[in-house]
Amino acid sequence: MTTTAPRSGSRARGWRRPSQWPAAIARLWGASLQFRTVLLTILLSGVAIVITGLVVSYSVGNDLYQSRLDQALRDAGRAQQQVQSVLDATDASDPATVLGLGQAVKFAVQGASSSRMMAFSRAPGQAADPQAPTDYTAGMSPGLVTPELAARVAKTPDTLFSQSVALPVDVGDTSLTDPGVIIGAQIRLPTAGAYELFLGYDLSDSEQTLTFVQRTLLLAGIALIALIGALTYVVVRFVVAPIQLAAATSRRLAAGDLAVRLPEDGEDVFTSLARSFNGMAESLQRQITQLATLSQLQQRFVSDVSHELRTPLTTIRLASEHLHDRRDEFDEATARTAELLNTQVERFDLLLSDLLEISRYDAGSVALELEPTSLVKLAEDAIDEFAPLARAHDTELRLTAPGGYSEVRMDPRRVRRVIRNLIGNAIEHSESRPIDVLVDSNASAVAIAVRDHGMGMSESDVGHVFDRFWRADPSRQRTIGGTGLGLAISQEDALIHGGSLDVWSRPGEGSCFRLTLPRRRSGALGESPIPLPPADAQEETS
Amino acid sequence: MSTRILVVDDDMALAEMIGIVLRSEGFEPLFCADGAEAVAAFKQAVPDLVLLDLMLPGMDGIEVAQRIRAESGTPIIMLTAKSDTSDVVRGLESGADDYMVKPFNPNELVARVRARLRPAAPSSSNTTVHVGDLVMDVAAHEVRRGDSRINLTPLEFYLLLALASKPQQVFTREMLLEQVWGYHYKADTRLVNVHVQRLRAKVEHDPDNPQIVQTVRGVGYRAGVLV
Repeated sequence: MTTTAPRSGSRARGWRRPSQWPAAIARLWGASLQFRTVLLTILLSGVAIVITGLVVSYSVGNDLYQSRLDQALRDAGRAQQQVQSVLDATDASDPATVLGLGQAVKFAVQGASSSRMMAFSRAPGQAADPQAPTDYTAGMSPGLVTPELAARVAKTPDTLFSQSVALPVDVGDTSLTDPGVIIGAQIRLPTAGAYELFLGYDLSDSEQTLTFVQRTLLLAGIALIALIGALTYVVVRFVVAPIQLAAATSRRLAAGDLAVRLPEDGEDVFTSLARSFNGMAESLQRQITQLATLSQLQQRFVSDVSHELRTPLTTIRLASEHLHDRRDEFDEATARTAELLNTQVERFDLLLSDLLEISRYDAGSVALELEPTSLVKLAEDAIDEFAPLARAHDTELRLTAPGGYSEVRMDPRRVRRVIRNLIGNAIEHSESRPIDVLVDSNASAVAIAVRDHGMGMSESDVGHVFDRFWRADPSRQRTIGGTGLGLAISQEDALIHGGSLDVWSRPGEGSCFRLTLPRRRSGALGESPIPLPPADAQEETS
Repeated sequence: MSTRILVVDDDMALAEMIGIVLRSEGFEPLFCADGAEAVAAFKQAVPDLVLLDLMLPGMDGIEVAQRIRAESGTPIIMLTAKSDTSDVVRGLESGADDYMVKPFNPNELVARVRARLRPAAPSSSNTTVHVGDLVMDVAAHEVRRGDSRINLTPLEFYLLLALASKPQQVFTREMLLEQVWGYHYKADTRLVNVHVQRLRAKVEHDPDNPQIVQTVRGVGYRAGVLV
């Protein structure tokens, strides 16, 4: 959940400026299967629809033109026949009548044809005849009839010729034109010879029809693309939604929610996916539960054994102490035996309680009892307590505390145990050189460091120092008799406080163990107030 | 007459060994191995102190402690194999005065027994001490509110007396552990917390809003002002 929020934020930023769109689309392309599928479908179906539209539009346009042309040709043919029959019926002997024939043609054409554009002219190449009717035009702009058309009409009688032209909407104004066609035919006037009749037809209504068809096609195409897009989106959602659900469920499973399952209704491929997924989850859950139970049993066993051992150990301890207290009454060997018995029973006791403590950590059943505590106070107490042992080892415990006096919430029992452990170890390895205990604090943490100047440890030893039952030098004589679990427990004590236990050591220069605890339980540890390697070691190296 | 100590433990070897230690220190041990018989044995023997194992057959130690506490203030020291908070607190809440985690050594055992039999006497020469609306008769080990007597165990009495004999002084838990329980080293401050709660339940008008034993946050406790 937390990772998606910033991503959607950056996506929103990406769309703000058009210059960022390509990058945003590329990101979306990579991120969303849905987007990819929908976009691809729209592009491909768009191309198909555009091609179909163009073909349809072209063929419809062609068809419309052809049928309009046919109509015009029929119309013109009818007009031609009408005119010819009118002309054939006239008495051609009277020159006045022949002169008036032009007018008669006009009426005949208007009666037989729908065209209101007409040109009537004497075919070229004939001898001038004063009695022939004059050329005239009606409703037709001059120059529309091209010489080529006129020539073709003149050459072949009885045939209709057509030519596409641009008709000016207003006569004399050529800026605005409508599509049109001019059809030419030859007619023969009695005595006056051949004449050419041109009729103009306006095709703008066909053009309008075509435009309407094209617009309808365009709208239908856009609607179709939108519909296909929406359809693809819905279909992809049907496919993607179960995948997203499966992904979300896997995430929850991975996060430790072992009880999550996918719904198994239906018989489709997703149901079979869900069934396999649920089977996997089932088996995972079973195995994890089994492991958890096993581990619990094992921890429980360790804990039970430790507890069961305690009662007989108490008896043994009481008995050995009782004997030990009376060792003066025994002969030398028996007295020594009582002594050995006593020290080893004590060691056994320590080992058992450490074992119990570490098993408690392993079982995760450790609860902190926090109290406001001064780390300096704890250090002072521990130094007082260990003063006799330090004297016995011919060494000295020196406390330096620039900070750490204020009280910080911690479990004093555990922190005291860590400090005692560190000081005890330091005394054991002090080689009669003084031991420095340093306490300091900063804004986020308090820390205590115990620095001895003994023989130190090699680098590989330092890596094992927190291991259970590990000893720096197995051949070394034990004087304090640790259990081998002390530092492992100390580290657990530090970790459960949200703190850390660190070590620095160098052969011949001694060791420094540093415990850092956060000031606030939930607060970050930050940098420890005490540097490691210790200040004196840093000076030596630099 | 020697001091009689009832040892309630089902482990015969341990009970016998404890008996040997106690006898060598001049105490007279009595034994009981079954929780169900412990209360009857207590009534019959009327010991000066009870050493009580927490895990017993028949009836568990916590219930035994509750039953004994119901009729007597005789000091009870619990013996437990578990040092887990919940067990210790449950034991203390059931009425035990102190506890020892197994394994313990004989000196520790004897020191704890002695401390409970002769609690360190608070440094007060007064015969009567007033705290809040209570009057404490030191010689008679009695606490009265008006005419009614309040039953306190010896431990609770000494706890209240320690606080009341130095009114207005704030006692840390460590000071109380030393003065009342006789611990001379760092011990479990839960002892103090639990027994302050038990004391409050008996002496306060409203235990949720204590006036006689007041908590001083981050430090400890003190006796309330005189009324």
